[in-house]
Amino acid sequence: MKRNILTVVIGAVLILIFALLLFVFQVRQSEVAVVTTFGKPVRNLTEPGAYFKWPWPVQKVYKFDQRVQNFEDKFSENLTADNNNLLTSVYVGWKISDAAAFFPKFAGGSVPAAQRMLESMLRSAKSAVVGKHPLADFVNANPQDLKFDAIEGEIESAVQSELRTNQCGIEIEFLGIKKLGLPESVAQTVFTRMTSERQVLISKLQYAGEAEAQKIKSAADRQAAETIADADAAATRIRGEGEAEAAKTLPVFQQNPELANFLLRIGALQQSLNQRSTLIFDERTPPFDLFQHMPTNSPSQQP
Amino acid sequence: MERNTQKNGLVNLIAAAMIFVAAFVVTCYVNSLAGQAASIFLGLGALVAFAGWFQMRLEENERLEKLEIDELARAKGESALFDAKESEVFPAHRAREQFEKFFVPGFAVLLFLLEAGGAWLLWRWISRTTNVIVPERAMPSLALFAIFALLLFLIGRFSVTIARLQNHRLLRPSASFLLAGAYVCFVTALGVAAVKAEFPRVDFYVARALCVLLGLMAAEMLVTLLLEIYRPRVKGKITRPIYDSRLVGLLGQPESLFTTAAQALDYQFGFNVSETWFFQLLQKNLAMLLLAQFAVLLLSTCVVFIDAGEQAVLEHFGKPSGVLTPGAHLKLPWPADKIYRYRTDQIQTLDVGYVPDAQSENEKTILWSVAHTKEDNFLVGNRESVTIQNDDDDTNDTLKAPPVSLITVSIPVQFQIADVRAWAYNNADPANLLRDLATRAVVHYLAGVDLNDVMSHARLEAAQELQSHIQVAADECKLGVKILFVGLQDIHPPVTVAGDYEKVVGAEQTKLAAILAAQAEAIETNALADALAFTTTNIADATRQRLEVSAYARAALFTNQIPAFEAAPSVYQQRAYFKAFADATANSRKYVLLVTNTSDVVVFDLEDKIREDLLNLNVPNN
Repeated sequence: MKRNILTVVIGAVLILIFALLLFVFQVRQSEVAVVTTFGKPVRNLTEPGAYFKWPWPVQKVYKFDQRVQNFEDKFSENLTADNNNLLTSVYVGWKISDAAAFFPKFAGGSVPAAQRMLESMLRSAKSAVVGKHPLADFVNANPQDLKFDAIEGEIESAVQSELRTNQCGIEIEFLGIKKLGLPESVAQTVFTRMTSERQVLISKLQYAGEAEAQKIKSAADRQAAETIADADAAATRIRGEGEAEAAKTLPVFQQNPELANFLLRIGALQQSLNQRSTLIFDERTPPFDLFQHMPTNSPSQQP
Repeated sequence: MERNTQKNGLVNLIAAAMIFVAAFVVTCYVNSLAGQAASIFLGLGALVAFAGWFQMRLEENERLEKLEIDELARAKGESALFDAKESEVFPAHRAREQFEKFFVPGFAVLLFLLEAGGAWLLWRWISRTTNVIVPERAMPSLALFAIFALLLFLIGRFSVTIARLQNHRLLRPSASFLLAGAYVCFVTALGVAAVKAEFPRVDFYVARALCVLLGLMAAEMLVTLLLEIYRPRVKGKITRPIYDSRLVGLLGQPESLFTTAAQALDYQFGFNVSETWFFQLLQKNLAMLLLAQFAVLLLSTCVVFIDAGEQAVLEHFGKPSGVLTPGAHLKLPWPADKIYRYRTDQIQTLDVGYVPDAQSENEKTILWSVAHTKEDNFLVGNRESVTIQNDDDDTNDTLKAPPVSLITVSIPVQFQIADVRAWAYNNADPANLLRDLATRAVVHYLAGVDLNDVMSHARLEAAQELQSHIQVAADECKLGVKILFVGLQDIHPPVTVAGDYEKVVGAEQTKLAAILAAQAEAIETNALADALAFTTTNIADATRQRLEVSAYARAALFTNQIPAFEAAPSVYQQRAYFKAFADATANSRKYVLLVTNTSDVVVFDLEDKIREDLLNLNVPNN
């Protein structure tokens, strides 16, 4: 008997658990739910809690994440207003604003299907907006000329407008440009240009260095020449002073000009013969005039 | 009774197979190393159970065949039927013999290979793997392993008793494996519990111990196979199956060591000391035990332990009812209350612009010109390019590159969850969204700055500005995070052009070198000029001094010469003249012509002679 009661209790517990699983479901804070009766949506639950339902196949519960979901579209190529090819990728934060409207539009509320639709809208809007702006609106060394926020706003407005028109039960919370890039071929030309810019800088630096060196050398030569010229001038002046001082002794020689002149001539003679020279004298030149009275080889007597 | 044994064998096979599959799934779910080893053990048990059950079927067929033949023999007496060959008359008997002769040894070899291979591969794998038990999955896994242990124990114990009571040798291997499997599952559950109790290495050591067990089983199987070769075959003698492991039997029934002693006691005292009262108890209260197990499992969900550094959101029927901080908490059992854990104190990092690479992390040197991670290129403004293009605006160059540059950045962003509710409930994938926001902030910032600025002086400001932008964006999206650090750890031109940027630095150095060389030469030139100037002025000073002194000296001499001259003017002149003449011509070549007594013409060749050695030079002929 005791064993039977126990079996009944266990059976009751198991049935209770099974019944709870069949008749009760929970909706989390982060979820919204749509309850369908034989496929027809009858309840839209947005508040968290435990709810009753009839078991399958009478009622079915479709739960959706009502938090903001984000996805990123493909990194796609578009032409800017100034004919530059630009790759862009945009991320979007979206949420289900009306589960009742969302549920029938996307095959039982398929989030991937909703994202596919959003992505196609997004790509269309993005292409249109990118085509209206020059590249300088996306990338500019002067931040005040950048129109990044405005471009994002334009894309978001275009997508929001499409969503409102279609009444998909979705709304965009935020949108941002995640990635900018250039196609590979264009990127190569940018690399080439960056390399050329570096070459220009290298040449600038190289020739600036040589020019600067040349200037320094030239200035040094000029300064050296000035220094030497100043020194020569000073030397000439000093020598002049010496000459002037020496000239002060000339009145002494005026006491006997004859002797002074004689001595000057003697001095000049000495200086002029100071170098290696060859002198030819005849017998009349003193002191060789002494040879005049010396016996010489007489011409042979003619018989 | 025989049919019941066969059913027992089938039950053992089904139980072993199902629990093997379930244990493997739970092991994958919880990432337990010991669970892997236990799964291998249970898988081997399933194979043994299959072999035992199959052999039982063959023996049962043989028994039925024998009964049928005996019945026919009794009914018809001697018949030609029994003159036929044995294989034609007793096909079931023949099948059983063939099975024992070929399949059983082959199966034993397979078992040995699986045990040895399993032990070796598992040992190597657990030495290298980084798998650890997922803490939040530990409790359900622990409970499930405990249930497996209980089920295996009950079924195994029952089978062992049946095998022993009826002395059924073919039921014993699977029964032993089930019992041993129960202990293995129990030990695995203990390992998981130890990990939950902050002893993370216990699971590893249990796995190692089970590897050793598998190795021992393989060694035992090898020895059994060798002994089987030399075993004397006695016709009609029933032998123990080769795949019946004594080691597993001992493990499953350690009390069997005492069986002999117990039988002696039974004989001595007249009652069964070895009677399995525990099994009887279990058999009577199986339902209660299962219910208790379920209750324990449910009660275990009423207590939650939040680890240090964690916070958990408690949901009551899906509605957030509080945030649990580290410590022990009580809650309603699952599924009424559920918790979702988040590591709020942990500093988390996301990487923008690069994908970290374990190999490059170990590199000691990071160069611009060598790619060290998988890096993305970002568009950045370039004033130099704009200037050059403005200069060349009149040129119609359709292939002109756009006035932007490319740059590579590596920016780690570190953050902490500041508001766990906002993190959990506002965004479906907050970590990914934060990555998007950070990347967008970097792209936006770089698009509006100059390449050279951001690589040099604007770097620090850039980091601060980026941190501020990311924080603002995260707050706008209600992410509930605090951005702790944004590091511009690596900003450089792409690898393709990085070498040219380095060459600019080289050119700068070359320029400085040329200037320094010129400065050195200028210093030399000026120093030499100063020296020459000094020499020139000194020489002039000396000349002046000489002029002055010699002038005064000559004047003094002249003053003294006047009296001598006046005393004898002609003699003085002659003396002075001859003295000067002698001094002046002392080194001169002199020719004196005495021409008074001749009319000869004297011709002097005063031309200098050329040195003879200069005339004898030999000019080589090419």
